[in-house]
Amino acid sequence: MRTATTAAARRRTRNLVLAAIAGVGVAVWVFPVLWGLLTSFKTERDVLAYPPAVFFTPTLANYREVLFGASSILPNLWSSFVVATAATALTMLFAIPAAYALGRLRYPYKRASGFYVLVTQMLPPVGLIIPYYLVLQKIGALDTYVGLAVIYLTFALPFAIWLMVSYFEDVPLEMEEAALLDRAGRMRALWHVILPQVRGGIAVTTIFVFLNAWNEFLFAVVLGGNRVRTVTVAMFNFISVEQTQWAKVAAGAMLAMLPVILIGIFAQRHIVKGLTVGAVKGGGRR
Amino acid sequence: MTAAARGSVRLEGVVKRHGTTTVLHGVDLAIEPGEFFVLLGPSGSGKTTTLRILAGLEDVSAGRVLMDGEEVTHAEPGERDVAMVFQSYALYPHMTVAGNVGFPLKMVGTDAATIERAVQEAAAKVGIGHLLARTPGQLSGGQQQRCALARAIVRQPRLFLLDEPLSNLDAKLRLETRLELHALQRALGATTVYVTHDQEEAMTLADRIAVFMDGRIVQVGTPRDVYARPQSVAVAGFIGTPPMNLLPARWEGDALVVDGQRLPAPSRAPVPRDVTLGIRPGHVTTATQGVAAHVERVEDLGDASIVTFVAGEHRIKQKSERAATVREGDTVALAFATDSLHLFDRATGARL
Amino acid sequence: MTAAARPARSLAAQERRFALALLAPALVVLLLTTTAPLVYLAWTSLNRIDLAMPWLSGFAGVDNYAKMGSDPRFWNSLLLTAVYTASTVVLQVILGLSLALLVLQIPRGQGALRIAAILPIVLAPVVVGLFWRTLVLAPDFGLVDMTTRALGLGSHNWLGDPQLALISVIAIHTWQWTPFAFLVLLASLATLPPDVYEAARLDRASAWQRFVHITLPLLRPAIVMVVILRTMTALSAFAAIFAATGGGPGSATEILNLYAYRTSFTELNLGYGSSLAVVLLAITLAISFLMFRLRRAR
Repeated sequence: MRTATTAAARRRTRNLVLAAIAGVGVAVWVFPVLWGLLTSFKTERDVLAYPPAVFFTPTLANYREVLFGASSILPNLWSSFVVATAATALTMLFAIPAAYALGRLRYPYKRASGFYVLVTQMLPPVGLIIPYYLVLQKIGALDTYVGLAVIYLTFALPFAIWLMVSYFEDVPLEMEEAALLDRAGRMRALWHVILPQVRGGIAVTTIFVFLNAWNEFLFAVVLGGNRVRTVTVAMFNFISVEQTQWAKVAAGAMLAMLPVILIGIFAQRHIVKGLTVGAVKGGGRR
Repeated sequence: MTAAARGSVRLEGVVKRHGTTTVLHGVDLAIEPGEFFVLLGPSGSGKTTTLRILAGLEDVSAGRVLMDGEEVTHAEPGERDVAMVFQSYALYPHMTVAGNVGFPLKMVGTDAATIERAVQEAAAKVGIGHLLARTPGQLSGGQQQRCALARAIVRQPRLFLLDEPLSNLDAKLRLETRLELHALQRALGATTVYVTHDQEEAMTLADRIAVFMDGRIVQVGTPRDVYARPQSVAVAGFIGTPPMNLLPARWEGDALVVDGQRLPAPSRAPVPRDVTLGIRPGHVTTATQGVAAHVERVEDLGDASIVTFVAGEHRIKQKSERAATVREGDTVALAFATDSLHLFDRATGARL
Repeated sequence: MTAAARPARSLAAQERRFALALLAPALVVLLLTTTAPLVYLAWTSLNRIDLAMPWLSGFAGVDNYAKMGSDPRFWNSLLLTAVYTASTVVLQVILGLSLALLVLQIPRGQGALRIAAILPIVLAPVVVGLFWRTLVLAPDFGLVDMTTRALGLGSHNWLGDPQLALISVIAIHTWQWTPFAFLVLLASLATLPPDVYEAARLDRASAWQRFVHITLPLLRPAIVMVVILRTMTALSAFAAIFAATGGGPGSATEILNLYAYRTSFTELNLGYGSSLAVVLLAITLAISFLMFRLRRAR
């Protein structure tokens, strides 16, 4: 009897310790963001209070300022939205058919073409930025939506192709054969039978591509300008100019990150799956 | 052309190679309209490849495929007017049962009202009329199988191709479905090509069987034919449960010499020769005189029994519908009815 | 039927054509947007292109590459890249794996942890860099400084001191990307077959033995994959460091990415910047090939 209770007590302590360690992990990841959220509602005076003010009178002044003030980030949010949406649409348009071919069809040089896509995915952006800059400058496409959206394809397309391939591979092999026998033909087999079965994968891939495009900074800062200034670039400029106005910076950052945070929370399950699909399966199979 | 005359199939010298390995070495086959034709063989014997060639899912390396006298060797699957039930059923998981069954009609632009009527009719024939609104994920294995069948029959093709359609069902359901399948085929009267590795399925379903071994057809005939007169040692060893006992023997004059024992031969040998003697387990009896053997193992199956004898260095199985009268360790004499002996050439394995 | 009359067009040939038609647009795009620019980059790296002194532009042969040998800033950036990549990857895998193993033991609340872990991943690196530079690492009023002061460890200029700055940018990267390792390894751990562990228990393997002899070998493909992906991210890291320190103080956090960027777009020396970019690409691709080769070999 006594040993049973001590065992139970030990298990309880153990679980408490585990939960505490996990709690610290969560805190480390969440706290900076939460702190930023708090800061965005503070006056600049409260920001600099020591010890830090946990209880303070919240103000919306910072949000008012970054949204409607002299250096409003509304145009930047719009720029980010346009570029990210266009880049995502373009990416999916090219990636889905290519991934289908790579994942399910037989054709010569299949390994080589898959390898080529993989290599293009590994190129670090800094390595490519100089030719992009020079070429876009030459054709007058610097600081244009089209220019930036097309350049975003370079990092989004290989990634999207490989992620989609893993979803296409999950569809049972006989699906096309059944559809072909049912007189669908190649194109309609893809459209009516295969694509509906990878809807989840398309959603996950779209989310990832959009997140990456929204968060992109290097291409945006070099290839953008006064007309096309994405919100990441605006944030960077903001802090360079207004070094000490943390509350405003925090408010701006919260607005800039609101879309991705919302997507992150709502699509949580899908994101975890998207992250793991390539890693777990790629590790196991290829 | 009447419906009954539709659906003849011919394969002429069909060869299939994958790289350097040859899967089919020249297959010739003629299937009559309305026939229930079974392709039987162990895995890797080429039967499924043959079925897929009929479907148009595989190209041939050489040879011709004809349906109703027309060459379709290079026709696409959708142009052949054939329907197939896959081993995995290959149901479209995102469509309802009605959507699945109606899909082949929708693809040729049939109007919605006609599709609905045809779907209802086909579903009723296989007894899933009440499940039309469900998705495949909500169906049991047996219901999925029926859904796949309905999708095949809804378009009234000239040829049904079935690839081990019963292999994913449990034993009891498999027996029931087998009977229903047979009745359905008779009712529809459509030519059916059925692949299986289960010889019992083949025996009960087929009008005729083609036995595949190592990429060749080794025998074509009615189930009775194939069972009673196997054309080779390989077929003899494959058909029957348990399979035929095969013993090396010497055929001299009117006698067969097995392990030094002389047995009467069914006919007189033109010249003395080495043969393989085959005898079905059902035809082995114990007698007062014959091949000396002792009982190694008795398996009681309830309604039947299988006894394993050891004679010299050979094992001989006996199957009877009664409980075994011998016990393990007994010494007995085995007799074989002369007219149920099968003789094969020792070297080539061909029937004599 | 028309099929027989048609010249022998097999199903395989039709499949080939369909595949190429689907693949071609994407391959053309990749060719134009990645491969062609690479060729152009190789060419510019052989030229002198100095936007500050445009009159000096012209073909320079391998001058740019020759210059690197005696450029201490280049060697410094290489060393920093190695330190930065190795330390962030090792930290992420160790922390991520430890936390995943711990969390697996917790009966409830894994969902909340997963949401928390998603948070850093979805944030823009540049915003993460800004956040850390201001709210977390700023002297006196940053979270870290407030903590060290409260603990009596004193105030430090976390991004102003060369050594602390390097540690800080490593910490930032590790903070943002450890959740990735954690989530992937947690998912992999959940797929390990429980009966193997039961068998091991019956074979009297201790918890540590089970970890070493079962968990690690079964998890190795996932760990290797995480290492590869994390290495790729670390090798292309830019925005977070750029926002937090800009490569400074001096060149204390100037990894090769930042050096190439600063040379090209701050000092406007595009020719030399191009040659640095070529070196960066070569190193990244070489490491990727090496890692994939290693994975296949095992």
